[in-house]
Amino acid sequence: MWAASAISDEDRLDRSETNRVLRRSVEFAEPYKRWIYLAIGFVTVSTICTVAGPLLVKFAYDQGLAKENASALNTAIVAYLVVVAVNYVVGRQQYLAINNAGEGFLRDLRVRVFDRLQAQSMAFYDRNKAGVLVARMTADIESMSELIQWGLLQFVQAGLLLVITLVVLAVISWELTLVVLVVLPIIIVASVRFQRQSNKAYLDVREKVGQNLSSLQESIAGVRVIQAYDRQDEQIRRFHVTNRALYGSHLHSVRISVWYFGLVEWVGVFAIALIVGVGGWLSHQGSITVGTVAAFVLLLANLFEPVQQLSQLYNTVQSAAASLHKLYALIDAEPDVAEHPKPVVLPARGTLTAHDLTFRYDGAERSALTHVSISVAPGERLALVGPTGAGKSTLAKLLSRLYDPTEGYVTFGDIDLRLASMASLRERVVVVPQEGFLFGGTIRDNIRVARPGASDDEVAQALDRIGALERFEEFADGLETEVRERGSRLSAGERQLISLARAALVDPAVLVLDEATSNLDPGTEVVVERALEHLMTGRTVIVVAHRLSTVRRADRIAVVDHAKLVELGTHDELVALGGRYAALADAWARSQPNVG
Amino acid sequence: MDPARPTSGWPLLRRVLHEQRRGLIAGMVVGLLWSAGKVTVPRLTRLAVDKGVIGRDLLWFWSGLIAAVAVIAGVFSGWRRWIAFRESRLTETRLREQLFAHIMKLHVGYHDHTQTGQLMSRASSDLQQIQGFVVMIPITASNLAMVIAVVVVLFTSQPLLALIALAPLPVVNLLAQRFSRSIHPAVLAVQAEQAQLATVVEESVSGIRVIKGFGAEGVQAAKLRVEADDIRRESLESARIRSTFLPALDLLPNIGMIAVLAIGGHRVLNGDMTRGQMLEFMQYIALLIFPLRNLGMTVAFGQRAAAALLRVNEVLSTVPEVADPPKPHQLPQDGALGAVRFRHVTFGYDPAVPVLRGFDLTIAPGESVALVGGTGSGKSTVARLLTRFYDVQDGMVKIDGVDVRDLRLTDLRHAVGIVFEDTFLFNDSVFGNIAFARPDADPAEVERAARLAGAHDFVMRLPEGYATVIGERGFSLSGGQRQRIAIARAILADPRVLVLDDATSAVDPSKEHEIRDAMATVMQGRTTIVIAHRPGTIALADKVVLVDDGRVAASGTHDELLETSERYREVLAALTEEEREAAETADAGGAGDQVASDQVASDQVGS
Repeated sequence: MWAASAISDEDRLDRSETNRVLRRSVEFAEPYKRWIYLAIGFVTVSTICTVAGPLLVKFAYDQGLAKENASALNTAIVAYLVVVAVNYVVGRQQYLAINNAGEGFLRDLRVRVFDRLQAQSMAFYDRNKAGVLVARMTADIESMSELIQWGLLQFVQAGLLLVITLVVLAVISWELTLVVLVVLPIIIVASVRFQRQSNKAYLDVREKVGQNLSSLQESIAGVRVIQAYDRQDEQIRRFHVTNRALYGSHLHSVRISVWYFGLVEWVGVFAIALIVGVGGWLSHQGSITVGTVAAFVLLLANLFEPVQQLSQLYNTVQSAAASLHKLYALIDAEPDVAEHPKPVVLPARGTLTAHDLTFRYDGAERSALTHVSISVAPGERLALVGPTGAGKSTLAKLLSRLYDPTEGYVTFGDIDLRLASMASLRERVVVVPQEGFLFGGTIRDNIRVARPGASDDEVAQALDRIGALERFEEFADGLETEVRERGSRLSAGERQLISLARAALVDPAVLVLDEATSNLDPGTEVVVERALEHLMTGRTVIVVAHRLSTVRRADRIAVVDHAKLVELGTHDELVALGGRYAALADAWARSQPNVG
Repeated sequence: MDPARPTSGWPLLRRVLHEQRRGLIAGMVVGLLWSAGKVTVPRLTRLAVDKGVIGRDLLWFWSGLIAAVAVIAGVFSGWRRWIAFRESRLTETRLREQLFAHIMKLHVGYHDHTQTGQLMSRASSDLQQIQGFVVMIPITASNLAMVIAVVVVLFTSQPLLALIALAPLPVVNLLAQRFSRSIHPAVLAVQAEQAQLATVVEESVSGIRVIKGFGAEGVQAAKLRVEADDIRRESLESARIRSTFLPALDLLPNIGMIAVLAIGGHRVLNGDMTRGQMLEFMQYIALLIFPLRNLGMTVAFGQRAAAALLRVNEVLSTVPEVADPPKPHQLPQDGALGAVRFRHVTFGYDPAVPVLRGFDLTIAPGESVALVGGTGSGKSTVARLLTRFYDVQDGMVKIDGVDVRDLRLTDLRHAVGIVFEDTFLFNDSVFGNIAFARPDADPAEVERAARLAGAHDFVMRLPEGYATVIGERGFSLSGGQRQRIAIARAILADPRVLVLDDATSAVDPSKEHEIRDAMATVMQGRTTIVIAHRPGTIALADKVVLVDDGRVAASGTHDELLETSERYREVLAALTEEEREAAETADAGGAGDQVASDQVASDQVGS
């Protein structure tokens, strides 16, 4: 009942990759090596016990029954009992040992991959799809837990059993062993062939499962459109196509296994016929005993099962190696926005200056920003405006070191941000994302994300400072309300308030705001506006602005267009200039002629 | 809880198995033949040892007989496997089709409350559990037959020895059952912990901007460690259960072997039994180990399948709340068509919280009406009632004088076309997406619809024109392009009443007039309800209706309302704000959006 696993040709590792995976795995398993040695010891003992059973039967036959020696028979019986008891005790311990080692290994792997993921820069997250990263941390690691729970044990056990049994058989009777060796290759060849074919078949099944599931998912997600246009029957017909394709693919893989398992069954019985036939003839010649024939019949199972198991496990081991390879690659990826080895603590206040910044996103054809220099004085409010994709959000990200510039540098109080300690940087410069993202946990936990050490009072004060404390205290569970349980019932405005409270909790010198664009009902809108105003007071503010009202409240306005800083000045100056900003302000003003 | 909720999934399984009884019976018959072959092997071995090896008589005959049985065992074992899997996959496949068909017919209200993922797992992992059980049916039947046969054979030849040797074996079965029963919750616990870890990982990846912004890596790292430790703890717990049961399962048959050796051995010495007989006994006992374990597993699989069946049955037995009436009326086919009437409509998604209360609206054939209102005013709900995505709680909705509940759903939905707020594209060609409502439409018709919707030109610029695959896994289109495809889809459907739920999602401002032109074209001469999220689209309609607090607060032309309604001015101002925000949304993304907007930018330069 081995769960199917398969590996595609692209995922197969070459020799040097395999060596690397092995080397790293040994390194990761280092803390658990005591468990591993124990497990190996137990497995060896247990395998010897497994082989000893039939040998004791042989002893009973030859020394006891054939020679009519009752005490030899009794010896065999007692010995058998001892062997079984030892096997039981050792059997328990081997599970525990291997699992302690394996689960510890996986636990460390999870932690280390996650820590490395978190250390990566935003650019890394742009490059890698979120789904893939989550899959690495979940499906890829989970796929190995099966291997650890019993696969590894079986692998070692099967290998040992095969070798020991062969040795024992050869020692008892090399002639009869030769007979067995006639049959064994059939099983080996069939197993290898089967594994190859079923691997292919399984990959095909997996692909069809994927197609079928995405067809299913699409239809469920689009059920409103489907019903609106009365196309249910057509969708059902289409689903049948992918569903039946999956069925066909399943049948194909069964067909392969039918031949194989039928053959295995045949070989198992046929080998008995051979041993009894040839063994009987040999015993007529006097070269072996009846006990030997009996032992061979009983030991046969020890020979065929391990071959089957080994070939089945081979794929599992290979795909686990492929998973490990990907995971180690993640762990080995150096973060590109990393803390300087000798970090400097940023001063409490200072001017934030961009020095001739140029930035290009990974894989982008053009630079998102070219040669931008700008300086923001303490307490100043700077609005960044410009068309979609012009680069204003990029500038904001560079000023807060979410990315490092391709060329140029950013300073705060004359210290290059790349030299600053991450802790002090995040205390001085806080980015408030436009959408209020919530983590699992309570409202309080969500605010405390910004400063894990903050006391309950400090969290409440942060909310109070932005005038939002009452709103949340009104909830039945107050700040202890689980946000996931309330789920979507936390309004967009409330999410934003939580986001602003986070910033208030940090109390930074510089606030980088990406102005919210989600729809708020007019009531909440006012509350959020007010909270924002409280938050901005007394701080340097850089706001990516989408509204005229916000822009008008700024001290200076920077117009970014086509990756360049094209205009910089106060509202009045820029309007007088008659350039981009003047046109934009004019368009804004005209778009609301009927209001206010 | 719904009183009609099914409490057992077995009737469902019984029905399915009944449909497949032929295949299943064939599987059992083949399985029995396999058992018969297997059961003879130890007896033949004994005869071969006693008569052939020790008695030096007919050795080749006996071993030849075993070889013949080997062929039988091999053939029937493969055959049994084939039938078992074929039937179980068929069960899975058919059930999935039933589920899918049912899901497609369930009312929208059900879908609004049910997560896609839940339905997905009904149709995948739950069905797999059922499959895993069905496959065991023919296999278990033949295993059971074999166990019985072996027990009979052993008892008839050596009753006392049989009793002693077989005594531990029922315990194997029992242990296997208990093992499966206790390992299952442990496995579920591990899975639950894995799911929690996945949640932490997901939120850490999707909330990375917040984490980076506040340097909150430590908080998430701590959460992850808790979850990783929990997984380890639960996994070790399940390892502990395995370590208790699995070695015991190996132990018990060995005790039977020892008993045979002890008692049988002395009997052989006394001359009451042959050496071959003893080997036969041992072989029989070895033969029983796997079937007995398997029987225990079947019981546990059955329990799991029962839970899965119950969940599947829950979906299948949910009655679609919106269904065809018993005596459907016909829509009139002559005269001025497309009159819409909402009369005193009261409705709430939660009946206790009405969204519409006493909503009255009359639209003349061919008239276009813009519904304007703030978030949560109920304006989008109007469209859902018109298409019977939901049914009204009070009052009625009529099209051309017929209550929508008196129409067959097919007729109703052919009469009403919707362009949804969130444009849904299928993973299909542009052609397939436009011709969605009428798959038999010829290319000329599709092209005409695309031209009217202002989509033809950009479609022709796509890599493969109308054959280009779009949708989630296909060529990605801009918001405006998607919307024009959706409009073309509605044009081709040619409904008598059209609902345009105007998207707030990012549509490039320079393209907005094109969409507005497309909308204006479709609206000509057709009853149209525009759910206006943008001031620009209001101008398209003949009449404006202000929806506020679930009622029609005011109606008239845009200018009239501007003059007379303070609330209208407020709502309009809010919409204007939203629109500008929406236009900038794309700017907030990362590099991906950057590239996308670069394309838009070059698009603009080009045109």
